[in-house]
Amino acid sequence: MKKWKALTAAALSMAMVVTPVTALADDAYRVCFVARASADTFAAWLTNEMKKAAEQYDDIELTCVSGEADDAEMAKQLEDCITKQYDYVIVQSNNNAAQAPYVKAIADAGIPVVTTNPTTHQCDLDGETGDPEVDNAVMAGTGTVDADPVAQAAVGAQRAVEEVPENANVVVFRGPSGNYHAEKRREAWDTYFFDVRKDVNILYEDYANWNNDEAMALMETWVQGGTHIDAIISMNDNMAAGAIEAVRNNTDYIAEDGTPSFLAYGVDGTAQGCLLIKEGLLTATALQNAAEIAQLNMDYCEKVLNGEMEYTDVNDYVDAPEINAENVDEFIQIYVENGEISEADLAE
Amino acid sequence: MEDIKLRVEGIEKSFPGVKALSNISFAVRKGTVHALCGENGAGKSTLMKVLTGLYKADAGQIYIDEKPVEIKNPIQAREYGISMIAQELNYVSELSVEENLFMGRLPVNRFGKVDWKKVRQEAVKFLKEEHLSYAPDQKLKTLTVSDIQMLEIIKAITNNAQIVLMDEPTSSISQKEVELLFEKIAELKAKGVSIVYISHKMDEVFRIADDITVIRDGEVVSSDRAENLDIDTVIARMVGRKMENVYPKEEMPIGEKVFEVKDFHQKGIFDNINFYARKGEIVGFAGLVGAGRTEVMRAVFGLDPKEGGTVLIDGQEVAIRSPEDAISRKLIMLSEDRKEYGIVPVRSVTENASLASLKNYFFKGFCHRQKEKEEVREIFQKMDVKTPTLDTLISSLSGGNAQKVLLARWMLCEPEIMILDEPTRGIDVGAKFEIYKLMTDIVRDGRTIVMVSSELPELIGMCDRIYVMCQGLITGCLERKDFSQERIMMLATGLLNSEQKGA
Amino acid sequence: MNKQKLSAYLQRFSIFIVLIVMFLVCSLLSPYFLTPNNLMNVARQLCVGILLAYAEMILIVSGFLDLSIGSVLALAGVLSVSCFKSTHSMLLALLVAFAVGVVCNLINATFVAQFNVPAFIATLGMQQVARGVALYYTGGANILQLGKFVKLGQGMLGPIPIPVLIVLVITVIVWYLFNHTRYGRSLYAIGGNRKAAEASGINAKKSIYISYIICGLLAGLAGAIFMARNNSGIPNGAVGYEMTGLTAAIVGGTSFSGGVGTVMGTVAGAFIIGFLENIMNLIGVNSYIQSIIEGAIIVFAVAFDIRSKNRKTTKQIMAVKDEDAKKG
Repeated sequence: MKKWKALTAAALSMAMVVTPVTALADDAYRVCFVARASADTFAAWLTNEMKKAAEQYDDIELTCVSGEADDAEMAKQLEDCITKQYDYVIVQSNNNAAQAPYVKAIADAGIPVVTTNPTTHQCDLDGETGDPEVDNAVMAGTGTVDADPVAQAAVGAQRAVEEVPENANVVVFRGPSGNYHAEKRREAWDTYFFDVRKDVNILYEDYANWNNDEAMALMETWVQGGTHIDAIISMNDNMAAGAIEAVRNNTDYIAEDGTPSFLAYGVDGTAQGCLLIKEGLLTATALQNAAEIAQLNMDYCEKVLNGEMEYTDVNDYVDAPEINAENVDEFIQIYVENGEISEADLAE
Repeated sequence: MEDIKLRVEGIEKSFPGVKALSNISFAVRKGTVHALCGENGAGKSTLMKVLTGLYKADAGQIYIDEKPVEIKNPIQAREYGISMIAQELNYVSELSVEENLFMGRLPVNRFGKVDWKKVRQEAVKFLKEEHLSYAPDQKLKTLTVSDIQMLEIIKAITNNAQIVLMDEPTSSISQKEVELLFEKIAELKAKGVSIVYISHKMDEVFRIADDITVIRDGEVVSSDRAENLDIDTVIARMVGRKMENVYPKEEMPIGEKVFEVKDFHQKGIFDNINFYARKGEIVGFAGLVGAGRTEVMRAVFGLDPKEGGTVLIDGQEVAIRSPEDAISRKLIMLSEDRKEYGIVPVRSVTENASLASLKNYFFKGFCHRQKEKEEVREIFQKMDVKTPTLDTLISSLSGGNAQKVLLARWMLCEPEIMILDEPTRGIDVGAKFEIYKLMTDIVRDGRTIVMVSSELPELIGMCDRIYVMCQGLITGCLERKDFSQERIMMLATGLLNSEQKGA
Repeated sequence: MNKQKLSAYLQRFSIFIVLIVMFLVCSLLSPYFLTPNNLMNVARQLCVGILLAYAEMILIVSGFLDLSIGSVLALAGVLSVSCFKSTHSMLLALLVAFAVGVVCNLINATFVAQFNVPAFIATLGMQQVARGVALYYTGGANILQLGKFVKLGQGMLGPIPIPVLIVLVITVIVWYLFNHTRYGRSLYAIGGNRKAAEASGINAKKSIYISYIICGLLAGLAGAIFMARNNSGIPNGAVGYEMTGLTAAIVGGTSFSGGVGTVMGTVAGAFIIGFLENIMNLIGVNSYIQSIIEGAIIVFAVAFDIRSKNRKTTKQIMAVKDEDAKKG
């Protein structure tokens, strides 16, 4: 028992001595990226891209931590950022409103802070005023690099207006409630699709929380309802993939020759999404390019830290290019190059 | 005519399908001890629960100081000055002595905060008054069972109680503490407190009771002054028949040594343990609580570790590292604590009975349930185990029947040597007699019994030889012709130390 | 007496009564519920959950539990999937899944049986470790394009889905373990009163090891099926599935205090929850409301079950007294 205690104490004191030493070892700027989770496909991808992008800059030393999709854990990580006196903090919120006060605290501590995918808005801190001008403003004292969720979802929605047959029955898969991107993407579908196509009937709609397996279980049951589902409208590719998997062996939905009798829309443009488009099962998606978001973040970070610009002026959005059957090959090529898809996968 | 403190009139209580109490009437005089005697299941516990408000009687009336009262719940019972010392101790071992003392009645100030200062003051004062040597902030788990029992008793009677109900208060305390308890009872009597005393130990009952009420099958058989009764009469009334001989001992020819324990020792618990038993013999182990008898037997059976020592069966040295080893050598042990080491309460009587001999029913890849049931039914019949069905949960049987099921469990292993640790603890007179009969049958079949017991009369009544232990050592071995309570007590208390370690 | 027997019988099978009532109510609520397709669908969805429920039941009956099973499932699943992708051997992939499950649970068992760490803590630790390893190994990304591996989760053998077939076989095996082996019988005894079991010559430690190993095998198999069903190796999949398993076992009458539980009860428990979720999805109940209803119904079902069981015990006590009285 005593031995254990001694060992732990030794290990702890070692750790305490070592940490400052490594930090002091070079004069690089210490930057921290707080991801919303490590077990979330997109967050994991973004984290990897952040690391890759940071490697290009000799004067940036990036630390990546994760909030594990838990607001309490997020709060802890954000508070630690102040304690550890980072030079620059990039935050990917799990729940905007919940993290807003902590993000503000970092800004108040004089540390440059940039929110990314999603942006933290002033209204996350103060509550909505109803004035779009005020509500859509980035939180005071912070910068942002983001993908515009409305623009992303609009890609699929605008196509759908033309493609979805008259009086069609559709199902909607939503991301976690309260998540900024999940809500905005859904709003975009209202604005660009449901408001335009009043004839379309939403057969079922539920939260699958970005998850493949949850969407699959829902879809399996919904197809038992008897009414043919003409389109799957999913707020991300992961859920769309789950839903498609649920009907893969159902001849009512996918004919023997592999032709689907339904349309499916996702967002994100993940490797899985691209492969499904290639297969002809996913109709279209919009790329949310983690590599691009990471690259932009690091570019601005470098500029801010070297005094070339104010961090509060960081305000940039990546494009949301559409991926469809025509152009999917070039995106697959990107994934092959970064190793997410192997040549063997393509052969299948 | 003396004052009547508590009177019950025509109490009736039925449960679906059975009448537990019918027309129970008796009166407890102020400042006396009133003993309730009856076999397990006679209705004593139900009656206690009615008196403490846990059950509501279907009919009848309770009077306190000759005024009719209605006791709806235990809190109300306490307000009427009725206090209960349960047979099953209820305490929280992780809490301190003082917290346990004041549990459920912690003094609070007007903000609802516990007044710990007052608690400490009263606890200290109280422990001093009662000559108890522990600290108020000591955790209860650091006390021995008998300490806790004493504490419970004291806790109950200091509750300002007018009527104290005691259900088997001496079942787990040592002789010394029994004396303390009796002193306490005398003190209470002097103060005018009435005591309702339930016990299976007839000698205790006759020592302290002023009145004795006998209950059988939910009805009052008799209610008399103790001086007008004797033990045999009370037992006869309890069981509804005259017991000819309490101990059905048969003197039988004894064979050769089949079981021998040599040089068992375990530091601080027991040392230099040497004993043997012969075919067809009942060997007793006497001693005070804490003398180390159970510990020795557990070590022999492979349940507890030992530092050294050998076991010989039929002259062959055998290695026993676990009960599994012992059972395969036809050596078994019936544990003292039926609840802790005996029954599996949530399983049926059949499963409980077959537990130690599963090999006989699970073979060739299947469970031979029919064979299991047949053999269990047979042994139950032989041992007269009363159970409604073979699938009945063992926890719903009475203590005596459950003990018989456990004995059946070991009989199914076809043992040669049986260690029985307190085989009759907590069971009623009728069932005790049946256990003795079974023991006689067992040795008649040429098996060997080693019996540990704290009840001297039963050791003297049943054994061929008695070893006496004191503080981890065997202090003597007596032949049947030399048995006497006095000699055993002398050896057990270490006043006499005969040099021979068994002949 | 006959009437008594009948009611004892009804009480013994009270959880099946709940199941039947639920089945009838469901078929009234939606015309699609009773279609063969939908019922097969429920069965398919329940496969992973039932395997986990068996694992939990084995442990709860003997007085333990496994909180790591969801994570171990994910770890076994992704490793199995990646093994399949590199070797294209179903057999090897399954062996990997089993091996991962067994290794994780041997660690659990060592802490529980050898060092007497409470199962809750030991397996809670494993929950985090296994999940961490799964995420580290995959870098948090899903493994895609499982090829023929999906047959394990999506394939059919005649009219019956392969995972359902697998679960049927496993059900028979688990039932056999509980009813026809000494090991099964000892589990009840160990859970009911470990000291008594040990004093009766049962090797409790050995049984605990076996239980965790079986639990690991089931977790591995469930992992492979889970990934195959989703056609991807999902390192963050099956979060909270230990609760799904626990709930099914407990609803099915397994007692958290140990010593009580049956295979058929657990199946019934799983189906009660499965039907409940299915019917609510079929009639389009919002998932927040679903959660409220599900929670309430589970508690009511268990309360009903416990009430009936309690009545049974009282009756038996009375019966003993009755007989005693008659004899006296």
